[in-house]
Amino acid sequence: MNPIDGVKQNWRVLLLVVFLTFSVIALFVPGGIVADSSVANDSVESGPTNLEFGLDLEGGTRVRAPVTGMTAADIDAGVVSDSGQVDGDRIEEIESTLYTDLELDRADAKVTVADDGSVSAEVFTDNVTHAEFAGALQSANVDASEEDIHDGVTEQTRNEIISTLRTKINEAGLSGGSVSEQTMQGTNYIVVEVPNMDSDELRKLLSERGVVEVVAYFPDETGNQTNETVLTQEQIANVDPPQQPPGPQGQSRGYVVPVQVKDGEAAEQFQRDMERYGFLDEGYTPQGACDLPEENGSISFDHEGEQYCLLTISDGEVVDAHSMGGLADGMIAGNWVNDPSFQMGAPSQQEAQSLSVNLRAGSLRAPLDLSPENAQIYSITPTHADQFKQYSLLIGLLSVVTVSGVVYTRYTDTRIALPMIVTALSEVVILLGFAAMIRMPLDLSHVAGFIAVVGTGVDDLVIIADEVLDEGDVSSARVFQSRFRKAFWVIGAAAATTIIALSPLAVLSLGDLKGFAIITILGVLIGVLITRPAYGDILRRLLTDR
Amino acid sequence: MAYFDVPEIDYTRYSNRQLVAVPLAVLAVALLVLVGSFLVLGSPVPMGMDFAGGTELTVQTSTPQDDIAGAFDQDANVRSTGTDNQYVVQFSESDSESLRTQAESELEQDGSADIVQSASSMGATFGQQNQQTALLGIIVAFVGMSAIAFILFRTFVPSIAIVISAFSDLMIPLAFMRLTGIPLSLGTVAGLLMLIGYSVDSDILLNNHILRRGGDFYDSTYRAMRTGITMTVTSMAAMLVMGVVAFVLGIDLLASIGIILFVGLAADLMNTYMLNLSLLRWYKFEGVRS
Repeated sequence: MNPIDGVKQNWRVLLLVVFLTFSVIALFVPGGIVADSSVANDSVESGPTNLEFGLDLEGGTRVRAPVTGMTAADIDAGVVSDSGQVDGDRIEEIESTLYTDLELDRADAKVTVADDGSVSAEVFTDNVTHAEFAGALQSANVDASEEDIHDGVTEQTRNEIISTLRTKINEAGLSGGSVSEQTMQGTNYIVVEVPNMDSDELRKLLSERGVVEVVAYFPDETGNQTNETVLTQEQIANVDPPQQPPGPQGQSRGYVVPVQVKDGEAAEQFQRDMERYGFLDEGYTPQGACDLPEENGSISFDHEGEQYCLLTISDGEVVDAHSMGGLADGMIAGNWVNDPSFQMGAPSQQEAQSLSVNLRAGSLRAPLDLSPENAQIYSITPTHADQFKQYSLLIGLLSVVTVSGVVYTRYTDTRIALPMIVTALSEVVILLGFAAMIRMPLDLSHVAGFIAVVGTGVDDLVIIADEVLDEGDVSSARVFQSRFRKAFWVIGAAAATTIIALSPLAVLSLGDLKGFAIITILGVLIGVLITRPAYGDILRRLLTDR
Repeated sequence: MAYFDVPEIDYTRYSNRQLVAVPLAVLAVALLVLVGSFLVLGSPVPMGMDFAGGTELTVQTSTPQDDIAGAFDQDANVRSTGTDNQYVVQFSESDSESLRTQAESELEQDGSADIVQSASSMGATFGQQNQQTALLGIIVAFVGMSAIAFILFRTFVPSIAIVISAFSDLMIPLAFMRLTGIPLSLGTVAGLLMLIGYSVDSDILLNNHILRRGGDFYDSTYRAMRTGITMTVTSMAAMLVMGVVAFVLGIDLLASIGIILFVGLAADLMNTYMLNLSLLRWYKFEGVRS
């Protein structure tokens, strides 16, 4: 037999070998074949294989929660003119009516214009009813009734939340975290998954709104101490990592987060405010102009005399208070606006870190609804996950042994049974290689899928074997081919029904079952296209004389 | 090693009516159980945490099993897992934070291991949506499978035989769940969908051998049975092992998929070789050809 004929006659087997080789490389060679080379360099701790594991088998926390808020979509608010011009003043007018009528924080109401020109109004709180929201919109001369309002927030808001959360998780130094969106029965959920983090930490990270501002605390004309916001997140251009500034006696007690105020209007406005509130007057600039007593770790406003303080406020809590310090010198000299840097104070490194993360990621546009009735929270320790990993391996092996045992007792012919078992296993190896290549994180549901693949795989091989062996020995290749074709009709039909039956699961977001469905469908496809035809070739070689 | 071969059944001894009676009676009992429990208890099958909401904690503790439930201020259902001192505790409330705190303060630590090994909670509204999504998934899968059956055989009786026996394959495990108290979970739904795909295989095989090949009816039947029963028994063995081992080791997802498929495939053996077969025999010998 010349080599070309050999290839022609055995191309199915050769194809299987090629796929197996690729899978083994993808599985075991460090670096392997990776779809995206940028992630390959991630210092993910590597086991003996290139497989990635999901929460079930790795440990970590997943939270699935809806966004708090309600929306009046596509309202006629007179914001966009016929020519497509957006009227910013009108937006502000509606927003401020919403704040005042509904007694909301500034962050909790928003009017947005989508790319197609439709206008939506949203409020991000549960303390307002649909009727109240509609009422407030009407008092801003927006034509909206209670029926126009539905729970949930706009896509734009959800996208902002997702990107903020992504930044927050990355900034917190956690690799492998993911944030995505899921829609079920018309409700949109945000899904956050972070390996190696327990549920308390993740819950804290998600429940922090992250609204940071700097407030001036000073005596007004009548001598009463008052608060004025002087700097918000929107006015900050750049955030540096937290540091501990050197104090007079070596290290100072606090930490600072150095930030850069936006050039131009923002910086000038900040300087004007400080001047207006008297922070730059002689006598109030040095250290000591701010000396608020500390009680039980929090700052007390129970003091005597006049105080000029800059307060760092995070989600409404006063984190730190300090005086102008060196900032005043630059402002008085007039050169500060050319290099408008500023240091936000924080009492501890942890607080400074969280301030820095919040400043960088921006505030969460709307809070997540983490109440027990609406959210789903799952967490598992790494040790328990590791246990699951070992058990899964054990269950997989036992299933394979069982299947092999049944097949062997049925045929009692190693020529038929052994290739059958080897072929079914190679389906699993190819699937695992594929999973490693696309870096699909494996969970328990995938393990169930792998076992299902062994099951369906062997079923189809039984069909092929029985059909080929039917009515005595196979004498010629032509007889073999015709029988093999007949067997394949049944296999194709069976594969089609399995794929149809599982495809809803692959599309619907039904918990963890997506992985199971995807693996099983892929397994069926690999089986029908690659491994089962190859098994036919192997049988032919073993049964016919050539 | 024990030798396993498929016995040849002498179908000529039984009339179609006799053959159909058994699977239809079982199906009727299954439907009665499901409808009855729907009317009396409000749902045809017990709803698990995935669909009703609730919390499940896996705890590692040296506190004896009988005392664990007392550590919580809510009704708890405690079950041991395959690992020493490890238990699965289920609650119908979904406030996992407070339950976790109670576990950590009330239960004895076992060595240096964390007390709460895993915690999973599902809000009730979330569970409600899961229910609807799962139902939608099963209906779409079933309708899709039926459509394929009709496309493949293009004649009414053989196609409807497949659809009826697949329907029965779903109802029998569901009734089994109600009778044994296995709650409906995401895992069992996956098992049911898998069953739609799996169980149809042997029906297609039987129809194919009888309708698309020449030869004697009983010969074709025996050949189809030999292959089909091997397939089903192999799958049943794999699922039984997976179900039992996973149950002992405390991996619920795998345990429920395994057990549901085992029961469903057993039902499929009966439905394929009694219900489907007698419908085909009737069609072949007495039915009006279209």
